[in-house]
Amino acid sequence: MTDKTNDPVAMWQKMMGEMEKGFNSFANQAMSSPEFSQAMNRAGGVAAGAQKQLGDLMEKYLVTMNLPSREQVTGLAERLQAIEGQIGEIKLMLSQIAASAGVAQGTDSALRPPRTKRPPSENGGQT
Amino acid sequence: MNAPAGLDFASIPERIQSEVQRAIQRSIKGVEYFSTSGPSLGSTPKDVLHSRGTMSLYHYRPMSDEIYRVPVLIVMATTNRGYILDLVPGQSFIEFLLKRGYDVYMLDWSAPRPEEKSLRMEDYVLDFIPDCIRRVQADSGEQDVSVIGYCFGGVLSLLYGSIHKDGPMKNLICFTTPIDFREMKLFSNFSDRRYFDVDHLVDSVGNVPPEMILSSFEMLRPASRTVSQIQLWENIWNDEFVKSYRMFDRWATDTLPLAGEYFRAITKDLMWDNKLFNDTMSVGGRAARLEDIKVPILHAVAEHDHIVPYDAAKHLIAKIGSADKEEVMLKGGHVSLVAGANAVKRLWPKLDSWLGKRST
Repeated sequence: MTDKTNDPVAMWQKMMGEMEKGFNSFANQAMSSPEFSQAMNRAGGVAAGAQKQLGDLMEKYLVTMNLPSREQVTGLAERLQAIEGQIGEIKLMLSQIAASAGVAQGTDSALRPPRTKRPPSENGGQT
Repeated sequence: MNAPAGLDFASIPERIQSEVQRAIQRSIKGVEYFSTSGPSLGSTPKDVLHSRGTMSLYHYRPMSDEIYRVPVLIVMATTNRGYILDLVPGQSFIEFLLKRGYDVYMLDWSAPRPEEKSLRMEDYVLDFIPDCIRRVQADSGEQDVSVIGYCFGGVLSLLYGSIHKDGPMKNLICFTTPIDFREMKLFSNFSDRRYFDVDHLVDSVGNVPPEMILSSFEMLRPASRTVSQIQLWENIWNDEFVKSYRMFDRWATDTLPLAGEYFRAITKDLMWDNKLFNDTMSVGGRAARLEDIKVPILHAVAEHDHIVPYDAAKHLIAKIGSADKEEVMLKGGHVSLVAGANAVKRLWPKLDSWLGKRST
């Protein structure tokens, strides 16, 4: 077997690992300064402002093009979500009714395993 | 001339042959990599018990003949998706719990919609979690519920537990949960109140975009993404490595936006004023003090966690009011603590032995 100290692949991997650690550590030190925070947040603030302006512009553009606005699409999504919610509630109610009537269902609680499990230490080591 | 110590000339042709074969494999597998979609994640059978906007409550179908009396609710971090705990069979924390006899539920998050920008901390702590707990109680028929919170899911669980001190939470398990936000040094510097105008950001963008969340995570280790891509190329001949890379890479880049008001509260109350650590935190006017949590608690932290450094997490156990409390430090990082080969042999068995005897 080739000695790791002379294996070029192992040496390359080690070098990469060291470089990664070194660069991360150097960058972390640089990013810990208040100057970095100031510069980063200045840039972030400008980007956020630009994003808002772009959003407003797009809204006007969509209205001009007679396309549905975000608000209208969101409204539809909300209605769909309400319908999904109601279906979920109906499904749950049906499961509960079926369970109380003793009707077997795929995932219904009537088919769930009993809640009798004990930890292995109390079972003489069995799981 | 003597050969350098340790260099075995006889093995060189063999090594060259192996490297040539790997180079060929890299080319073949490289094409495969870009033409396939990677393993299917989060596929343990489950039912959606309830879904409301950003919140979803799942119930996983039991996989053992008998289960523990107390069901388990996992509260996922709001920045990431829950499938990190349900990667693929054999590497799924959920599957592990099910096979060990737990009845498992998960409170998972999807991207908050634009109209959900007004969700506040109150909505998460005083509405979403209690609503899920009630539904778990109704579905399981049990009053007691154990809660597992991962990262910020742990913070939400702590806030919930400290406010709802009379139950029904029976046990609390936190994975890599920060409470001293001053010690999250880089995040703390990024959000320095002198330079970070959180009001301007939230008022401008509504929900905080996922790219911003992802880039702030990646900035903690700026070289790591490039190095991991180089490592991927080196190991692309190795199917197991590629599978694992794809699972974790997909999850790590699948970051969620954060609801604007919720982000504002995190920044002001936790990052700036460190209220949870200083015992001055309140949610919706209700005091949230860690000393009010009296249930058994396990806190698992990772030795090499670069997102939640140990200094940010280490005071949790001391500040909790429970008599039955334990911190366990395990090898690994923020993600490898809970998922992947490292977790399979370290955290999961530890959790099982701790929780099993408290779940009857």
